[in-house]
Amino acid sequence: MADYRPQAPFLDELFEPDGSPRPTAESLIRDLQRLGSDGLAEAGRRRDAIFMQQGITFETSSAGGASGHHVERPFPLDLVPRVLSGEEWRAIKRGLAQRIRALNHFVDDVYHAREIVREGIVPWRLVVSCSHFARAVHGIRPPGGVYTHVAGCDLVRHSDGTWKVIEDNVRIPSGISYVLENRAAMARLVPELFASYRVRPVDHYPQLLLRALRSVAPSAESEATVVVWTPGPANPAYFEHAFLARQMGVELVEASDLVVRDDVLYMRTTRGLERAHAVYRRLDDDFVDPLEFRPDSLLGVPGLVRAYRAGSVAIANAFGTGVADDKAIYTFVPEMIRFYLGEEPILENVRTYLLSDPEQLEHVLGRLGELVVKPTGESGGRGVTIGPHASEQELERMRGVLANHPDRWIAQDVVRLSTVPTVCADGTLAPRHVDLRPFAVFGERIDIVPGGLTRVALEEGSLIVNSSRGGGSKDTWVLEDSADDADRAGPPIADTQPPALPDLRYGGWTGQQQQQQQALEGAPGP
Amino acid sequence: MLARIAHELYWLGRNLARAEFTARAVEAVFRSELQASSDSTPGVFFGSGGLLAILGDVDATAGNGRPALDQLTLDPGRPGSMLASIERAREGARTVRDVISAEMWEAINTTSLTLREGFEAPRWEGATGTSATSQYVKERTALIWGVANRSMLRDEAKSFLDAGGLIEIADMVLRMLRVALPTTSFAGPAGDSAGTSDGQALILLQAVGGFHAYLRAVTAPPNAHPVARFLLFERAYPDSVAACVDSLHDCFALADAGPRNSKPVLRVSRLAADLDFQRRALPDGAELTGICEQTQQELAHIDQDIAERYFAGAASAGERR
Repeated sequence: MADYRPQAPFLDELFEPDGSPRPTAESLIRDLQRLGSDGLAEAGRRRDAIFMQQGITFETSSAGGASGHHVERPFPLDLVPRVLSGEEWRAIKRGLAQRIRALNHFVDDVYHAREIVREGIVPWRLVVSCSHFARAVHGIRPPGGVYTHVAGCDLVRHSDGTWKVIEDNVRIPSGISYVLENRAAMARLVPELFASYRVRPVDHYPQLLLRALRSVAPSAESEATVVVWTPGPANPAYFEHAFLARQMGVELVEASDLVVRDDVLYMRTTRGLERAHAVYRRLDDDFVDPLEFRPDSLLGVPGLVRAYRAGSVAIANAFGTGVADDKAIYTFVPEMIRFYLGEEPILENVRTYLLSDPEQLEHVLGRLGELVVKPTGESGGRGVTIGPHASEQELERMRGVLANHPDRWIAQDVVRLSTVPTVCADGTLAPRHVDLRPFAVFGERIDIVPGGLTRVALEEGSLIVNSSRGGGSKDTWVLEDSADDADRAGPPIADTQPPALPDLRYGGWTGQQQQQQQALEGAPGP
Repeated sequence: MLARIAHELYWLGRNLARAEFTARAVEAVFRSELQASSDSTPGVFFGSGGLLAILGDVDATAGNGRPALDQLTLDPGRPGSMLASIERAREGARTVRDVISAEMWEAINTTSLTLREGFEAPRWEGATGTSATSQYVKERTALIWGVANRSMLRDEAKSFLDAGGLIEIADMVLRMLRVALPTTSFAGPAGDSAGTSDGQALILLQAVGGFHAYLRAVTAPPNAHPVARFLLFERAYPDSVAACVDSLHDCFALADAGPRNSKPVLRVSRLAADLDFQRRALPDGAELTGICEQTQQELAHIDQDIAERYFAGAASAGERR
């Protein structure tokens, strides 16, 4: 650990460039040193055992991936946490809330007045060409005007220390269950690391989500029934669906449990049909309703969009929100913030080139080797080509693809992702690149859980953090500071102490006998 | 059956339940105290200080956090520790080895030996020891009760064993509530608690092990008030005070030769009826500390009556100080 060296030119979040610990990380580094590489390796083995036991796993294809044989692996949690100061976090939080508010405005606008298009800020052609633009929901305004109930923006930290948004996820961002499970596992595996810190907790997320879903549910007379809708146990994120349903205490439903009658959504129960007022759906627009979207979908509920249109059910996130996290639309988010909110963006975008613009396309083709190219309608790191890491043939092939379908791609400057020390197989530490996905819940207001999912590229030098492609994760600590303390004067401990516990001494028969025996033995002789 | 045996079984049940609930509470508090408090203003407070207060004569000067909690795990010198409760249970079980099944005796004995021998072993040591111990005690007590339920005849003996466990659970839950519930002088967040989620009330639920049950049974967010109501009145949840009192009644109705004239049975049915009445009569948001206190006093009287009627006064050691 003493020989850990940050990798220039990347910013290391725990160490200064000269290799000394940053002030916030000093005691963490000290505790890590005390654990030593053996301690870390040992804790890693226990972590894998616990995760397998609890079923916190994900599936990867084995080496012969084509055979379709899947292997279950424990979720790769790295034991070195990432530390964010309270001040840093507040800036991120404000920036995210601003961005999500603007994205929500944008979704509303796209399906209603289209003012931003008429103002000439976002080209209509680009909006309709988004693969997630949904004609079916034109003119529908959900309760409270909220579309993006759950949002997760991916942030990265550039080598100059600034935070940039690299991607918005306002369809079905996943990963929050790992944030909660990571924290629980860290507390169990390496509690000593927490000793010198006041880390803000994350486990109230399910309650925030439930409250937000209830607040948008159209049920006037009774307590709203909320359900989580999963595509089924075969889905890679099924663990998370079940986790959220359990933590919120609501039903986890599949398509076959749901039915629409007279534009009202019901679920089939042992006591007949019961109404569902709010659905947290964890499947894509494409599959939700065969009558309106893909007609071949077996995972959907026929008539759901009609029920939604009739306002008898709230859907989170609303249908059609995908238009706001399209990678081509991403370019315009700073403009949206100015247009809808009249504010300057707090979080920057990464410099992005729209290839549908011939000038920008030419520029990009010229320096493809220095840029990252991404398909606009994909997520999860699929189809991404990183110029500096690509071979000449790959680049050549890419040039052809871009020239043919420029509107399906964007190019971005390569971001120098910051690094955090990460435990290698032998227990030593090495710098690895990370990003951050904080989770926001939008109900009556926007709540953001402190921290979020830090994803880490486990391979040396790799910039791809997606867990489907060899990425791991880290527990993210947001430290509490005096600014957070102000509103938190807890209630006094009850002044009525409970009575003492009965029979703390081993009493009863034996006790009495022993006492008596002892008394006899101890009695002075005659 | 012999009064002495009944008495031992009753206390065996109590000690097992106490070890289990201590373990649950220690684990919940340990985990929550590693982190800062959550965003919202807590309506209840439940930390290691409160836990030490509940378990009585533990040295309250030991400070907070792990050192304080460690006294509650494997400190043989502390009567409130899990080790001490399990050891007492083992001593008790030894004197009734003929009544309980061999399997059950083995389960108890192994638990006690593992904890005691393992006292020096790396498994219980260090920072991870606290949760490892709690986890072990939780698992083993579940196993012991499971074995008892499957292997013991449902006769008088089982009734006394169960009765001890039930009264101890009700008592522990009430203790936690009394320490954690806000005092009347602190009326602040009660008003706006409707919307806020309350991290400390979550800890209270986890300390009892009823987190999941609560979420399925109650639609209100887990704040101080609905959580307290749930733990007091929810009959469908086996560890709530009301459910324990109900089951206690069933135990004695079976074990007592003349339940119609039996003071403890009558007292238990009165308490059960009273809890039911309070559940229906009390408006939402009503103050609950008074009920907790009365119920706990009533349980103490029941304990006393049980000792007088069945144990020939043997449980004088159970006198409240």
